[in-house]
Amino acid sequence: MVYRIGVDIGGTFTDFALFDEAGARLSVHKQLTTPDDPSRAVLEGIASLVGRSGIKFDAVEAVSHGTTLVTNALIERKGARAGMLVTAGFRDVLDMGLERRYDVFDLRLAFPDPLIARRLRREVKERLRHDGTIIEPLDLNGVRIAVADLIEHERIEALAICFLHAFTNPAHEDLARRLVAAEFPDLFVSTSADIFPNAREFERWTTTSMNAYVQPMADRYLARLEDGLSSSGFRGRLYIMTSSGGTLEAGAARHYPVRMLESGPAAGALMSAHHGRALGLAQLLSFDMGGTTAKGALVRGGAPLKSYELEVGRVHEFKRGSGLPARIPVIDMIEIGAGGGSIAEIDARRLIRVGPRSAGARPGPACYAQGGTAATLTDANLVLGYLGAGSFLGGAMALDQPAAEHAITESIATPLGLDLVRAASGIHAIVSEDVARAFRIHASERGFDYRQCTMVAFGGSGPLHALGIAKKLRIPRVVFPMGAGVMSAFGLLVSPLGFETARTKRIALSALTPESMADTFAPLMAQTRGFLERANVPPEHIAIRLKLDMRYVGQGYEIEVPLPPSTDWAALLAALPALFRTEYAKTFPLGVLDEPLEILGWKAEALGPEPSLGESLKIDGAGRGTGGALKARRPAFFAETGDYVDCPVYDRYGLKPGETITGPALVEERESTAVIGPGDRVTVDPALNLIAELGEAR
Amino acid sequence: MTRGVQQLDAISLAIMWDRLVALTDEIVSTLVRTSFSTIVRESYDLTVVVVDTEGRLMAQGSISAPPFIGTAPLTMKHVLRRFPPETLAPGDVIITNDPWQGTGHLYDVNVVRPVFRKGRIAGYTLSITHLPDIGGVGFGASAAEIFHEGLRIPLRKIVSAGVLDESLLDLIRANVRVPEQVIGDVMANLTANEVGGRMLTEFMDEYGLDDLNALSAAIRGQAERVTRERIRAMRPGRYTNRIQIEGIDAPITLACAIDIEGDGVTIDFAGTGACVPRGINVPYCYTNAMSLYSMKCLTSWDLPNNEGATAPIKVIAPKGCILNAQPPFPTGGRHSTGHFVSPLVFGAMKDAAPDLVQSDTGMIDILNFRGTNRDRGEFSTMWFSAGGFGAVKGHDGPNVTPGPSNMAVVPVEIWEDVTGTLIERKTLLADSAGAGEARGGLGQEVVFRNDTGHPLTVFSMANRTEFPPLGFHDGRDGARRAHLINGKPIHPKGQNVLAPGDRLTLRQPGGGGFGDPKRRARDKITRDVAEGFVSREAALHDYGVVIADDLGEAAE
Repeated sequence: MVYRIGVDIGGTFTDFALFDEAGARLSVHKQLTTPDDPSRAVLEGIASLVGRSGIKFDAVEAVSHGTTLVTNALIERKGARAGMLVTAGFRDVLDMGLERRYDVFDLRLAFPDPLIARRLRREVKERLRHDGTIIEPLDLNGVRIAVADLIEHERIEALAICFLHAFTNPAHEDLARRLVAAEFPDLFVSTSADIFPNAREFERWTTTSMNAYVQPMADRYLARLEDGLSSSGFRGRLYIMTSSGGTLEAGAARHYPVRMLESGPAAGALMSAHHGRALGLAQLLSFDMGGTTAKGALVRGGAPLKSYELEVGRVHEFKRGSGLPARIPVIDMIEIGAGGGSIAEIDARRLIRVGPRSAGARPGPACYAQGGTAATLTDANLVLGYLGAGSFLGGAMALDQPAAEHAITESIATPLGLDLVRAASGIHAIVSEDVARAFRIHASERGFDYRQCTMVAFGGSGPLHALGIAKKLRIPRVVFPMGAGVMSAFGLLVSPLGFETARTKRIALSALTPESMADTFAPLMAQTRGFLERANVPPEHIAIRLKLDMRYVGQGYEIEVPLPPSTDWAALLAALPALFRTEYAKTFPLGVLDEPLEILGWKAEALGPEPSLGESLKIDGAGRGTGGALKARRPAFFAETGDYVDCPVYDRYGLKPGETITGPALVEERESTAVIGPGDRVTVDPALNLIAELGEAR
Repeated sequence: MTRGVQQLDAISLAIMWDRLVALTDEIVSTLVRTSFSTIVRESYDLTVVVVDTEGRLMAQGSISAPPFIGTAPLTMKHVLRRFPPETLAPGDVIITNDPWQGTGHLYDVNVVRPVFRKGRIAGYTLSITHLPDIGGVGFGASAAEIFHEGLRIPLRKIVSAGVLDESLLDLIRANVRVPEQVIGDVMANLTANEVGGRMLTEFMDEYGLDDLNALSAAIRGQAERVTRERIRAMRPGRYTNRIQIEGIDAPITLACAIDIEGDGVTIDFAGTGACVPRGINVPYCYTNAMSLYSMKCLTSWDLPNNEGATAPIKVIAPKGCILNAQPPFPTGGRHSTGHFVSPLVFGAMKDAAPDLVQSDTGMIDILNFRGTNRDRGEFSTMWFSAGGFGAVKGHDGPNVTPGPSNMAVVPVEIWEDVTGTLIERKTLLADSAGAGEARGGLGQEVVFRNDTGHPLTVFSMANRTEFPPLGFHDGRDGARRAHLINGKPIHPKGQNVLAPGDRLTLRQPGGGGFGDPKRRARDKITRDVAEGFVSREAALHDYGVVIADDLGEAAE
């Protein structure tokens, strides 16, 4: 018997999924997150799930783990006291930023303080030319003095070493690291060329400072977790989810904690891709909407699109550009500040706006009756009948409808001269519009035709809005997978081991030879492959994917060009102009120019085999198939009819494969409700997914 | 008749408004990514707007250079006068770069395309981008007449009923230094407008609109109402200001009188000095634009851009003054004068709206470097370097933040690769910020070394070398800008050649402070000293506070 466990720590709940490979069965578990020491909930939850399933701990071969720990530490500024060594003359790079305003009309704009304060940054003598040649050798004694001083007087626990042009030649950073390791062995050290070897010092150094800042904490956390697991009898491997959708062994994750940013949402997108592959759908829009944000990811050819930029901890009215930039491989997600807890308010235009302010879990929406008075999206969805006052979270939490009505009336309806129902339906509609708008621009910037794709909707609030958003975008099909509230935990079970790196090296295509191409890729391939080999993945099971960032010389925007799997460098080189043109035309149907090309970025990713979830997955408690899924009726409002309609409410767990439901209808599972509009039809497929075909409907 | 819009409530209007802005943003993002011009992608020196059949601006891309909110409506007036609706057919596209009809200098190309629906014009799209070159003497202020500055294209059709005017393209191609890139950027504008027209048509289909006018009226009406309310909350009266800025040979005076009456504002630039025979003169359209931008920062900073937010504001400038230049005065560097409209207006408004105005910013330093890179051959590229931002009541100005323009610095690692020069250091300048209850942002020092092995030519147009960024309401002034070669100060405006090994030092000013420094919170002074933003000497001299070596506070 072989078992695997996925554990995803969120802000409020820690979710668990246990997969029984023999029976292709999934058991799920949920318990409150323990913010003081998140490993406690993880260990308790695993013990409880293992105990409940009646299996032996040593039969669990792997635990895959995603966590918001790193994201939270950065947002809440709860990381370690870290110091920094920089090239002489450049101590202020972190303070200077991009020298650009993210809002030209707001005279009170603010930028985040650097994670490592100016007085904790020390200059050391060294200098490289842009091509990597050494102009001034590293002053090792200067390194020794600076670090000793930072430890003695500033009590630093971690150190970021960031030198100019280190992505071209890491020799000085490596020398400094070796000295520090030898003479100050207790210090955690991050070097910029190792963290992400890309040009642009502000972003690379900021990313390195993030890694240093969170490393001591992440290290202690993972150590506690490994100890706890092994003392409970766990003999398998612990994998840590990363932002890019691959997992790392715990040891590697301790070295690169910055790569754990946003790993939970990445796992959700990965699970969408998994569903798409199971259903034979290549193009997907993964739509995840929870309590405070909605997230979208595009899946092309079975894999989520990637990006290398992420912004963390916005400090000024949630505005884009007011956070810290991280440069790491991530699943390319668009985030919208709209979720169940999002607050509806009247904006500067004297019109209605929902989010990005959120009532959070405490005090939460007015209908939680925990003292919240702001009108939230959840309040509106309750008033509209989409949520049941007695069936929220499987009936575990009673909702206070009068409180919701009061909040919406006071803060929205009365001031704007609307009736309660119009105000509530407006809040719902505006959130759907916000999400649709964000997806539209995200997709079009990437040349992704969403009108041909399928939406996979999950998260606590996703299924409430999915069909409305799909209709606005003319997406013809929507899939509601079972277990909308624990998708990330499922996603952890299908994440392969993987590591990606990218380095900047600018070269004109005309100057490139097959040999220099091989020489540039070789170390990247060796590094990424190494992570998997050390995790005992057999070499024949390691897939290497190579990509180049290319552009017309002079143009400011690079196109990522994936290379076919081959190491015939001469053939690859010859094919590059055509490969570029194909990718360029996907994003810019403007036509192709007759200008010379250059390469800026070189990327390599090593991936292990994807863990399987089998063909027909069963989730505990679902698909009882006894019929009798109709459990209640309640009135719900639909814009199409302009009024409340008496609406059947189905128990998701009682639906049988092959059943068809015609809207208006509501389908409830524990953590979410799917809203099926008048005339919309959903069918239950063999894997118990609900599938809505919207056809050419508008 | 326009259907569907009469009964717009707060929800429908919010949805359609946001959608329209997103639509313009989508067109902008395509333009940015396909543009060759460095200044377009580094500073978003471009925009896309949607206007109704009367030419009124109803939506603008959210990220764009500040001036265009004010030039686009004037450009549309010229377009409607030159090409009334009956002279336009589906598939027509109009182009101009005329400084007086466009944005104030020849570099910006304005492209307008009518959107037809059921045989009638339902609205227009207008895109503007800064071209990589336009011929003439090149970017800068050295011209004595507009004729030296390059190719001037009056308002004319570049596409007629879908047929491209190849002879006009040939003419452009023959007059510029990088023809492929310039034509590429012109074509990107054409495509963006075509895509925009398609998107607008779909938008009108979706919401059942025959044209954009009723929606335009609703959007502008809402913005205008809010703006007028905010003006009414200001202290009424007449406010004047007069500042001096560095000219080419002698200082230039800029003056204004601002009348705040009821819910309207009139800005009159009477008293401003005359035009000069160098390319720093400002056509009215740009003066108007910078005035509207500055007032928008005070009255509607949180509203999307549209003409409603600027309708209550009237701008007057006497013909022939440097803020209402007439041909043939050259205007290539009109921004170097025009940007001072912002501090001039804020200075005038400091008693009318003391909670909103910003003390002077250090502004930006724009230099053009031309030389030969050992590895990559000849280059010509721009360096942007920001001074400190001005303080606002209760809010310190961020360090090295540009304003009112918004060009991002080129990273050191990119710069050295492109030019082959070496940047020896780039550091914040302690004590450069104006002290105040809220202090200005710090300026910076950048030192370049000519490691190219060839002579390196540097063109500079620096301001704030004689007249520092001013503090408001007892806030202190920021430090001044300086340019030095091998440690010796050089003329801040002009051309210099660095021999191999020579060093160029740029010192950028700090922002002005706001409010009496004696009222600054002690913990902020202590933190500034701990971080090295303020020296102990300055803490004592400017703030009257002694900070001990262990950062504890001693007696005053």
